[in-house]
Amino acid sequence: MTGISQIRQFFNWHEHTSAAPLAVYRIGFGILMLFSTMRFLLNGWVESQYIEPHFHFPYLGFEWVPYPSESLIYSLFIGMIIGSILIILGLFYRFGAFLFFFSFTYVELLDKTNYLNHYYFVSLVAFLLVLIPANRYFSLDTRLGFTNYSKTCPKWHIGLLQFQIAIVYIFAGIAKLESDWLFHAQPLKYWLHSAHHYDFIGPILKQDWVAYFFAWFGCIYDLTIVFFLLTKKTRPYAYFFVIVFHITTWLLFPIGVFPWVMIMATLIFFEANFHERILNFIRLLFGHQEAKRSGINTSLLPKKMTTALIGAYLAVQLLIPFRYLFYEGNLFWKEQGFRFSWRVMLMEKAGYAMFYVIDPKTKSEIEINNSKYLTQNQEKIMSTQPDMILQYAHYLQDVYSDTTVIQHGVSMEFNKPEIHAEIYVTLNGRPNQLYVDKKHDLAQIDNDLSERKWVEDFVK
Amino acid sequence: MDFKKLLIILAALFVVISCNKDKDKEDFDRKAMLDNMASAVIIPQLNSFNEDVISLNTAALTYTANTNTTNLQDLRSKYVIAYKSFQKCKMFDFGPMSDQFIKSSMNTYPTDTVQIELNISQGSVDVNAASNIDAIGFPAIDYLLYPQHQSTSAPIDSFSTGTYAIERCNYLLAITSKMKTEMAIVVSNWISYKTTFINADGNDVGSSTSLLFNEMVKDIELLKNAKIGIPAGQQTGGQTLPKYVEGYYAQISIDLAAENISALKNIFLGAAGSGFDDYIKDVESEDVTTSLADNIATQFDVVQASINNIGSPLSDKVDTNPTAVNTAYLEIKKLLTFCKTDMSSALGLLITFQDNDGD
Repeated sequence: MTGISQIRQFFNWHEHTSAAPLAVYRIGFGILMLFSTMRFLLNGWVESQYIEPHFHFPYLGFEWVPYPSESLIYSLFIGMIIGSILIILGLFYRFGAFLFFFSFTYVELLDKTNYLNHYYFVSLVAFLLVLIPANRYFSLDTRLGFTNYSKTCPKWHIGLLQFQIAIVYIFAGIAKLESDWLFHAQPLKYWLHSAHHYDFIGPILKQDWVAYFFAWFGCIYDLTIVFFLLTKKTRPYAYFFVIVFHITTWLLFPIGVFPWVMIMATLIFFEANFHERILNFIRLLFGHQEAKRSGINTSLLPKKMTTALIGAYLAVQLLIPFRYLFYEGNLFWKEQGFRFSWRVMLMEKAGYAMFYVIDPKTKSEIEINNSKYLTQNQEKIMSTQPDMILQYAHYLQDVYSDTTVIQHGVSMEFNKPEIHAEIYVTLNGRPNQLYVDKKHDLAQIDNDLSERKWVEDFVK
Repeated sequence: MDFKKLLIILAALFVVISCNKDKDKEDFDRKAMLDNMASAVIIPQLNSFNEDVISLNTAALTYTANTNTTNLQDLRSKYVIAYKSFQKCKMFDFGPMSDQFIKSSMNTYPTDTVQIELNISQGSVDVNAASNIDAIGFPAIDYLLYPQHQSTSAPIDSFSTGTYAIERCNYLLAITSKMKTEMAIVVSNWISYKTTFINADGNDVGSSTSLLFNEMVKDIELLKNAKIGIPAGQQTGGQTLPKYVEGYYAQISIDLAAENISALKNIFLGAAGSGFDDYIKDVESEDVTTSLADNIATQFDVVQASINNIGSPLSDKVDTNPTAVNTAYLEIKKLLTFCKTDMSSALGLLITFQDNDGD
């Protein structure tokens, strides 16, 4: 076989292949999302993350998303639960996938304080599952005759989900190719230290060489694991490393269900007969019935159109992590183009932000007690992220505009006050340095995609 | 075969490196730090505060039974001792202390003198009622014992011959005995809480290291805002508020602040034993020129000096010596910056149970 025909083979996205990996992926994803949503609810995080805060930090361009009432927020979580159950069963699948995608993404859009790369991953996968008919094999929809049964699916159904995993790993690997990570093992060194109360391994974890070993191993793992998973010969070994890697991170760091999501998701690299065995096991547990309806499923879109749309999705996914190249300054410091780029575990930042409301005429100023407006978690995250600093400053201007403030028995008039901030930040173990100088009136600075010149330059 | 050899060599290398490193770094034990904090810092300070509150209550009984200058001087000195002692305990606002709401019930200021007089005139009042939070505790005693600052005749008159003298005596005793009762509970509950405290040796939200660190930082913030900032006009557009100082009537604000900052430093150092300074040094890489722990310890001293430099009483100095007041304010801000950025990062304490992916 020549190289060219191999490449052609690779790009023949419409060729059919077994749908078993897709069915297992659908069920696995549904189970983990069900578990993850329940865990979120039972831990009381809905209350602490979405109901307690008075002020919210919406994403740029999504400020219009209405903030739901308490009961509506809970309804969204119920939506996630119903959605994930329907995904597992493959019952009213499209509706279920859409319900999950919509409610999950809606909640994520409410406050970027809660941004996590793995939530972004879940949103993307849920979006792909709305588009991919993963209910044509091993589903209640086929058993009840709601859709045609098909033991095969086009290669792109599976390929797209594999691609999404590859994006996560490879970009996470590329992001680690920087000096703090490779040559100083930071912030890993700090974080491994926090785990040193473990008996036996605790004292080992705090050794510098362990941090370096984890840093280099993690980087090489991220960069190469997908290729080893794609190759039949290395696949079982690669999967062994997937398990070891993610369980290690799960034990050491508070990263929730993400390790389990990756352990489940990477199964999609295995061949059909492996997944058939899993499905057979489920059949054994729940009994097996033939599908009612079989026939040819016709696609809604012409093949070329589908190819073009897939191509566009791939391009967007490949380009978004590189948008930071449009900006000057240190990426970790100014965080322009940091989110949605799979930069995981790269920063330990902590800040102290003091805000001042200043009357432009009298120059009289008052210092703001941030805990009056923000939760402890919001304050911590805001104080190191420029866009959130601006959002908060703009909010303070609204609060103190055209108002009489009575504080400690003293009455003060504010019309259109200036908002200033003095902020210090430490990054990856370096001594703290000035982040925002008090001289800027933050109320005058727009929160947009332009260069953040008002953030002090990073001094190495 | 070559691959296997390589693995063996690598493994051997790791063992050698790790053995070398083991000798350099002595093992830091978070549990031992907590044990030291409880045994050498927290419990002794709570016990001595408890003694001081008992003495205060006894002196109040003596004074109300026999209102004269000697007994007043004795009561006043017991009040100052107890208030200073309180400055060494108020940051332990977790576990038994927070169960008894000690921090707010003993020290909400400025005290509401109108409410106090109203309570006295009404005779029997529930000092435990939430509405009386700013009419009890040290600030209320401060007003009752020093209505005209250092004058001794005023309190002697009001407690012996003035209208509602008996009610005034009873009110004072209600306050001091409430303090005594509550501290007795705190001290006795700490006996069993000690084990809980030492065993919560993780780095999560509920862990003791995290509690102690957060309360220490909160108390430094209170020092900056409540003790200095608010009276200096930081929250009122520069308008000073002399009556908002702590211990306004007895004019002991600076003494209280000095006591407080030295107690905070003592926590940072873990007295003579294992403390946050040792923890930081353990986390730090060996190639730092000056340790963050030393920088912070020095900054504690700078703050202490800048507070002493203000002069007394603070209620006058906010107007007559604003430069010194402002310097102290800025130095506390620097200390807070160290704590909230570098120290918080180094200790890796979590502030929520929420998942994170480290960005």
